[in-house]
Amino acid sequence: MLKGAALGFAGLALPLDRANASFWEAFFQKHFREMNDAEIKKVISRLEKEYAEKYKKAITIGNEKPLPGVLYGYGLDLSRCIGCRRCVYGCVEENNQSLDPQIHWITVLRFKKGEKWVDLENAEKYYNPETVPQEDYFYMPVQCQQCENPPCVRACPTQATWKDPDGIVVIDYNWCIGCRYCMAACPYGARRFNWAAPTRPSEKINPNTHYLGNRPRYKGVVEKCTFCIQRTRHDPGRYPACVEACPVGARKFGNLLDPDSEMRYLIKHKRVFRLKEDLNTNPKFYYFFAYGN
Amino acid sequence: MIQIVRNFFIALRQIAVGDKKYYAWVGFLSFLIILGASAYIGQLNRGLIITAMRDQVSWGFYISNFTFLVGVAAAAVLLVIPAYLYNFKPIKEIVLFGELLAISAISMCILFIMVDMGQPLRVWHILPVIGAMNFPASLLAWDVVVLNGYLAINSVIAFYVLYRLSIGKEYKMSVIGPLIILSIPWAVSIHTVTAFLYNGLPARPFWNASILAPRFLASAFCSGPAIMLILFQIIRKLSEVEIENKAIFKIAELIAYAMGINLFLLGAEVFKEFYSGSIHSDPIKYLYFGLHGHNNLVPWTWFASILNITAFFLFLFPKTRENFTTLNMACAFVITGVYIEKGMGLVIPGFIPDTLGEIYEYTPTMQEILITIGIWATGALLYTFLLKLAVPVYTGKLRFFSKAQMVTAGDIMSRRIITVSPDTSADEIAKLLVSRHLSKAAVIDQNNTFVGTVSEADIISLEVGQGADRKIADIMSAPAAPVKEDVKIQELGKILADRKVSSLFVVNKDNQPIGAVSGNDVLRALENIRQE
Repeated sequence: MLKGAALGFAGLALPLDRANASFWEAFFQKHFREMNDAEIKKVISRLEKEYAEKYKKAITIGNEKPLPGVLYGYGLDLSRCIGCRRCVYGCVEENNQSLDPQIHWITVLRFKKGEKWVDLENAEKYYNPETVPQEDYFYMPVQCQQCENPPCVRACPTQATWKDPDGIVVIDYNWCIGCRYCMAACPYGARRFNWAAPTRPSEKINPNTHYLGNRPRYKGVVEKCTFCIQRTRHDPGRYPACVEACPVGARKFGNLLDPDSEMRYLIKHKRVFRLKEDLNTNPKFYYFFAYGN
Repeated sequence: MIQIVRNFFIALRQIAVGDKKYYAWVGFLSFLIILGASAYIGQLNRGLIITAMRDQVSWGFYISNFTFLVGVAAAAVLLVIPAYLYNFKPIKEIVLFGELLAISAISMCILFIMVDMGQPLRVWHILPVIGAMNFPASLLAWDVVVLNGYLAINSVIAFYVLYRLSIGKEYKMSVIGPLIILSIPWAVSIHTVTAFLYNGLPARPFWNASILAPRFLASAFCSGPAIMLILFQIIRKLSEVEIENKAIFKIAELIAYAMGINLFLLGAEVFKEFYSGSIHSDPIKYLYFGLHGHNNLVPWTWFASILNITAFFLFLFPKTRENFTTLNMACAFVITGVYIEKGMGLVIPGFIPDTLGEIYEYTPTMQEILITIGIWATGALLYTFLLKLAVPVYTGKLRFFSKAQMVTAGDIMSRRIITVSPDTSADEIAKLLVSRHLSKAAVIDQNNTFVGTVSEADIISLEVGQGADRKIADIMSAPAAPVKEDVKIQELGKILADRKVSSLFVVNKDNQPIGAVSGNDVLRALENIRQE
């Protein structure tokens, strides 16, 4: 009788079309950092097969490890940003965000000039003028600040999100339970939840992905900016998509451990600041002004 | 062991047996559960998009209910402290029902967490060893530990006490004493950890106040006992369980103090936020006055404040707290007030404005409300079932015997008796008999030894005849020999039949009355034995 009840329960919880080997493999998949290379390879080939079935095209999932001697840093020149949101859409295209419900990893905020300095309480997220930039406003894009002391990582009850040695805070979408405590903990509104199953037509899928980055996500898990881990974790790597998309060169990216990098130069020579310094999160995302106005 | 398991299943049968009202109640709850479950299936299929939660307000009604219920569960401790440690007799008898409430409340908490999860099948990831519990860094991991620990402690205590009672024995303090001692700091810990869950997030200035944990405890010690007061009145009305008014009024008094502290702490928080007036006070402005024209929570907040203050005065004055109309009003006010204040009133403003200054107003959707009602109904059904098991054990109607030949009067007797001294007036005894629905009282001397019996009939004949101020000594039917507790059941049956009496007092070896046994008790015991 107990066996019958158990079977009944399993039948209730698991739709029949998913009750196959792949479902159980996914169910019992181990924590990413507890798997050895062979196990990760097996998981990745299972996922590639699943994606191929779903999107009817080949999607590769990389597992590039952090490069030694690298700590990524990001710079954003507020004096240049024109609020065009090309970074937002470049990011969506590169990182396979859901179109419906719409998910953006970058939020561009608009502030009135001549009033309070970065006054988040009066920031406007949904500005929509004919043309940008507008005379009386300045703009500030916000995305994951890749904190050195990330409150989200501390909050996660299952260690589904962690900071890799190259400073990127990543999420294992197959381990996240969707409790959203990290979202409550993040001071930068950088984390996004898949409130519904993400949708993206297969022709718009970027097939070059990373396991911890832009591979297609699931309903009920959290995601966020990874500094385009699938591009940057190569040597030579590529710039994150948002850096490439920016038409005015407001976005800088580089290795904080390299004394000759552009990032090190601007931290030394420009007036830089980081968002909500008082919280001691120690972001690796620097805002600065290349020139006045 | 097999015996225990079999007895457990016999006890479970209790759940299936009841009167029409019982079936109607269970049917009603099942209906609500089915509604909630079907809404939840919708949520499983379509995702949490069917709720009103979004990235800006990423926790909502579910977590609000969770927070409130952790407080209800923690409040069981309020009864445990005086009951076990200070031996305050009237409360001691009802602690069991408080602990069963804690079990139900924690079960609801766990359900609320489950329905809030985006990937509920992955819940095992949170466990230590087989999962990857982020302990001790994550406060949510702490919450998993303390809540499940609390559920285990209360279950062990409650079921051990019930088990001992069901075999006709008193529970041994040497066995559960340490657990009871442990349960007190543990109860404080479940609510402290839940407060720290919010409190520890510098990203949310509204929650990031060190006064939060004390506030949580104070408000929990209002709402939890208030729920119990109402439940106790229902229990004593629907069953033979006796809960003295004295106990109810004592708990009401404790609520008054807790509410006083709660209002003080809240006032301290409100002062700090409004007087300092930094941008970090935007959430509390939103809560009390609205922000930039957004004011969904404002009427609720003021409604809760008025309820809490009114309830405080109703509990404070002995006149109103010892009047059942005003007492029950006060209980309802406190439950509603605290439910609003530390449910939606705590969770939502943490997200408004969000970390980048956006205001997204949250109102739960119909599906969220249905799922929430479903979980409350599940908790109510669980509590109903637990009571259905516990009440007959507690009153002595459900007893198990290991060997039929060995069953004695002490095993099957009811411990509900009235003892009076010989100089009690007939009037007083009459009142006692009426209030406790008993037909006779045992008369004892200074050494608690049995000297006689005084029955309804004795008093009636007295009232009809002469003055009611006559003393017991004059009318009691001494000696009306009681039976010893070790008298075997067969012999007991014979005594009852021979003497043609319906019930007899049972005395221990020192001749002190410890219970009463009726023909009905004997019949029920014989029937139970036959079943085995």
